[in-house]
Amino acid sequence: MPPESINRRTFLKVLGAGTAATAGLRAAARASASETSGDSPHRWAMVIDQAKCTGCGYCSQACRAHNDIAPGIEWNTVVRTGELAGKPVYLPRPCMHCEHAPCVEVCPVKASTRRADGIVTMDYDRCIGCRYCQVACPYGARAFNWEAFTGVNPAVPEWGEPEVPRRPRGVAEKCTFCVQRIDRGLALGLTPGVDQAATPACAVVCPVGARVFGDLADPESNVSRLLADHPSYRLREDLGTGPRVYYLPAREEATG
Amino acid sequence: MTTQLTSAAYVDRLRGDMGPTPYRIWMALLGVLMAAGAVAGLIVFSRGLVVTNLNDIVPWGLWITIDLSAIAMSAGAFLLCAAVYLLGLRQFQPLARTATYLGLIGYSMAVLTLLLDIGRPDRFWHALVYWNPHSVLWEVTMCVTLYFSVLMLEAAPIFGRTAWMQRRWPRIAGSIQSLHKLAPYLAVVGLGLSLLHQSSLGATYGVLKARPIWYRPDLSVLFIVSAMAAGPALTVLVSMLAARLRKGVRVDDHLLDRIAGFIGWVLVGYLYFRFWDAFAMTYTYEPGRTEGLSFITSGPLSFNFWVLEVLLGAIVPIVVLLHKPWRANSLLRMLALGLVVTGLVAYRWDMTMAGQLVIISYLPQEVAATYTTYVPSLIEILTGAGIVAYGALAVTLGIRHLGVVDHTPEPEHEEILESVAAAA
Repeated sequence: MPPESINRRTFLKVLGAGTAATAGLRAAARASASETSGDSPHRWAMVIDQAKCTGCGYCSQACRAHNDIAPGIEWNTVVRTGELAGKPVYLPRPCMHCEHAPCVEVCPVKASTRRADGIVTMDYDRCIGCRYCQVACPYGARAFNWEAFTGVNPAVPEWGEPEVPRRPRGVAEKCTFCVQRIDRGLALGLTPGVDQAATPACAVVCPVGARVFGDLADPESNVSRLLADHPSYRLREDLGTGPRVYYLPAREEATG
Repeated sequence: MTTQLTSAAYVDRLRGDMGPTPYRIWMALLGVLMAAGAVAGLIVFSRGLVVTNLNDIVPWGLWITIDLSAIAMSAGAFLLCAAVYLLGLRQFQPLARTATYLGLIGYSMAVLTLLLDIGRPDRFWHALVYWNPHSVLWEVTMCVTLYFSVLMLEAAPIFGRTAWMQRRWPRIAGSIQSLHKLAPYLAVVGLGLSLLHQSSLGATYGVLKARPIWYRPDLSVLFIVSAMAAGPALTVLVSMLAARLRKGVRVDDHLLDRIAGFIGWVLVGYLYFRFWDAFAMTYTYEPGRTEGLSFITSGPLSFNFWVLEVLLGAIVPIVVLLHKPWRANSLLRMLALGLVVTGLVAYRWDMTMAGQLVIISYLPQEVAATYTTYVPSLIEILTGAGIVAYGALAVTLGIRHLGVVDHTPEPEHEEILESVAAAA
């Protein structure tokens, strides 16, 4: 046998062992980070149709009221991104609820965690306010409570009633897909995305139905069908964060 | 009848006791800075971080820079302790003591700064209880805690050997001094923790995909290598200043000269890594990273980069510290060491800023970067100055009352060094 092939075989063996070890390390790293343990039958996601969005900002207002957000903070922001056929195109941006969420990976105290159903949540009692999650989030989805929110919430009661406690000064916060509505709704036997009381406030309030919420694990859910029938994209897919917010791009035929 | 001082004579005597000497002016200056810092710190704790110029786009600023710099300048401790107890370079033991003390003070400065910087200082202990081993910042917190403890054990004999301790609590002083025996083991633990910690601070930035100018493995290496230059530089500089400004402080200039030469070579290595790190980023256009590099080399940070970091922070000190006749000139050597320290602070500041002031958009089909600015608020500056003044005060008092700069041979320490030498 020529020495090259021995070398090659040895090389391949070493390579195989190395790959196995790396895979083990990766699995360990995954287990300790964004892949949350536990099982859930659901995979919550949001589909935002840019062809329908008119940039009215109702979603931001409803979000403010239902989540009792301080006036200086915005969980759900609506950005004007350009024009199509003479009409402005908007991009509403909630938290992406990434599958490999950088904020979850970097949080030193596991105050940011990803639930088995895919919702990235915050434990405000655990957060130390280091703001590493803010620095790590590629979507600018996180806000910090630079000061205490003590006054009245100008969005209440016009846009809804607060459903969650106010966050204290000094912790980070972000969109939760209105986790309180989802969990309560499921406990009452409702279907999030179908029953309004179990659906995120932004999707409920949207006057043009541009925001659709639902379960990716259910192939018959409205989000699954929308994504099956339309081309969609996600923000900064190149980063590998795996957002659970999908966008249907603005289309000329739909704007007419 | 006992002697009564007339009020005029009393005032005269007070004048004699409290007249302005350079030492008293220095202490008064530090006192004023610390008082201002304490007031500013109380404002931070009572009103919250809204009093800073930090915001959701630039969440980290001056305080993080002070924190990173203080940690980097504590690196003399692990290097010199490793040299003495692991490599058996016994002659450097007095310098290891100075470096250990500086490390202790540096880490305490970092802890103070972090307490200001986190939004919930009452929860500072959370990282010790709620572990996320995947987070670099968790690891950094553990390293700070563990290495700070190591430094306390390493520095304890410095306090134990003071005449005051020996007179007041002779037994405690004795047992604290016996911690000397742990020195070789502490040096091993300290070396591991310190290498991990210094590099992890670079990795804290280096693992973030969202910040292309940070997102590269080199930052860990650059952070540890630059700390290996600046830490010993501060140790030697403080020793030389102490010998110059205070009578009775004895230093062995031969030792300081050798360390200064070592720093020169570390800087050569640092400049080499820094060159390839920066040069490799120019190979291709990478959204955000290329803009970040231009921000450093030809944008708002270019003066800091070319003048403070490269020319004054590396090239000039390399020439001075590696050219023997210039290095032997104590003024030139002190200047070079001061420049190394300044260059390190500039590097930490520039890195912190470049990653945050250049924002890469998440919007589709838009690779263009946008820019923002950050100038620390007066409160941030005052608290920062207060913490630096605290460090300077602790070092001044350490030199004056704890003998942290003292190259007189110590008989009780010789035994441990003998045992190290025998084991090696």
